Amino acid sequence: MSILEYNGAAMIAMAGDECIAIAADRRLGVQYQTVSCEFQKLFQINDKTFVGLAGLATDVQTVAQTLKFRNDLYELREDRKMTPKVFSSQLSALLYEKRFGPFFVEPIVAGLDASNKPYLSGMDLIGAPCFPDDYVVSGTCTANLHGMCETLYRPGLGPDELFETISQALLAGVDRDALSGWGAIVHVITKDGVTTRELKGRMD
Amino acid sequence: MARRYDSSTTTFSPEGRLHQVEYAIEAINNAGTCVGILSKDGIVLASERRVTSGLLAPTKTSEKTYKLANHATCCVAGLTADANILIDQARLRSGRYQFQYGESIPMEQLVEYVCNHKQSYTQYGGLRPFGVAFLFAGYDDEHGYQLYQSDPSGNYSGWKATVIGANNSSGKSLLKNDYDPDGDGTMPDMVTALKLAVKVLNKTMDGATASTSAEKMELFTMTRDANGEFLHKILVKDEVQKIVDEVAAESDVEMAGGAESSQ
Repeated sequence: MSILEYNGAAMIAMAGDECIAIAADRRLGVQYQTVSCEFQKLFQINDKTFVGLAGLATDVQTVAQTLKFRNDLYELREDRKMTPKVFSSQLSALLYEKRFGPFFVEPIVAGLDASNKPYLSGMDLIGAPCFPDDYVVSGTCTANLHGMCETLYRPGLGPDELFETISQALLAGVDRDALSGWGAIVHVITKDGVTTRELKGRMD
Repeated sequence: MARRYDSSTTTFSPEGRLHQVEYAIEAINNAGTCVGILSKDGIVLASERRVTSGLLAPTKTSEKTYKLANHATCCVAGLTADANILIDQARLRSGRYQFQYGESIPMEQLVEYVCNHKQSYTQYGGLRPFGVAFLFAGYDDEHGYQLYQSDPSGNYSGWKATVIGANNSSGKSLLKNDYDPDGDGTMPDMVTALKLAVKVLNKTMDGATASTSAEKMELFTMTRDANGEFLHKILVKDEVQKIVDEVAAESDVEMAGGAESSQ
């Protein structure tokens, strides 16, 4: 089994009308044995930026802690919040620094920029980014997630419709993957704040 | 006689003094005053802004008060350029501690780290000492709100209230009388602490009249909100003016009372 499939993960981020949604499963496994249904894979950086980390659990946590350190230092030195674009660039640079001994994580970044326009990015474990304007996926069942997103996604959805769309895509995607699922969490970010919901899905 | 022993940091004089360090401390006694006061539910740091030209285009929000971490702030008396180096050191240390232990760095450890860094410039390398004194203010779970003062020698001490910079001795004598007037160990509340800070600055600032002094004062408070998050606030001009006016009114009342009783 590949190192990126050791713990299991599934996550999606989608762009809507002046809003974004980011969702992930909650399973932590050791190969086929499930160990936790409450493992955190989505991390809030500031009011308008989230990052999702899929991959080896220890690297998920270390990268999340490192990103917090870098973000705190940025805010202290520059006296302003990081925009999602800058955060994504920094994450990409952080991963490339470890080019020949990488962190085994494949992140997705989702946020709203200064004018509340949605920002999405996804990258591989050595920091190669892409910047689509519809959705990004990562994890052990990306083929399933891409299929669901391509089918269900429409541009310009409002926060509630976006929540429904991303939730259905995630839940259907994880059901055909043994290594992901066991609970799901969705954050919807608008200019007015963040709404967090837990999804009730199959616990298998 | 001191001439021979004062050009190198790393040389003791025959009387056992480090002259370079003492000269660095002198540099701070010409710098803008900083007052720190511990209150029941927070900390007040008040500073004298030296440069208030209308032509100044400020890039940062402050030249005196700097946030070091969520739970810690400092204010600076001395060479701002030297201070920038040390402030960055403190921020990095705080961030690394948080990364390593998953919790905020205790105040004394942060202060000691910065001070050890300052000390190394008095013992190694043939470099001059940092010409900065700090007031560090912050909170940790072990000891609550704390205030520390540090100087170029790398020495530090904890205080309930203190003053650094120009005229700090007259500021300190005022605090000795007014910080805890009943002598029973009670701490003032935030409002009282702010007014006391303004009173101290009024005394230490040269030629300050009521109309100009509000612009030259920077008042900073650190408190906690209902969720336990720390609020770092530099008061805006109107809020500062309000406190300056209240202090002026109270001292007028005192003067009037004094004048009556002396008749």
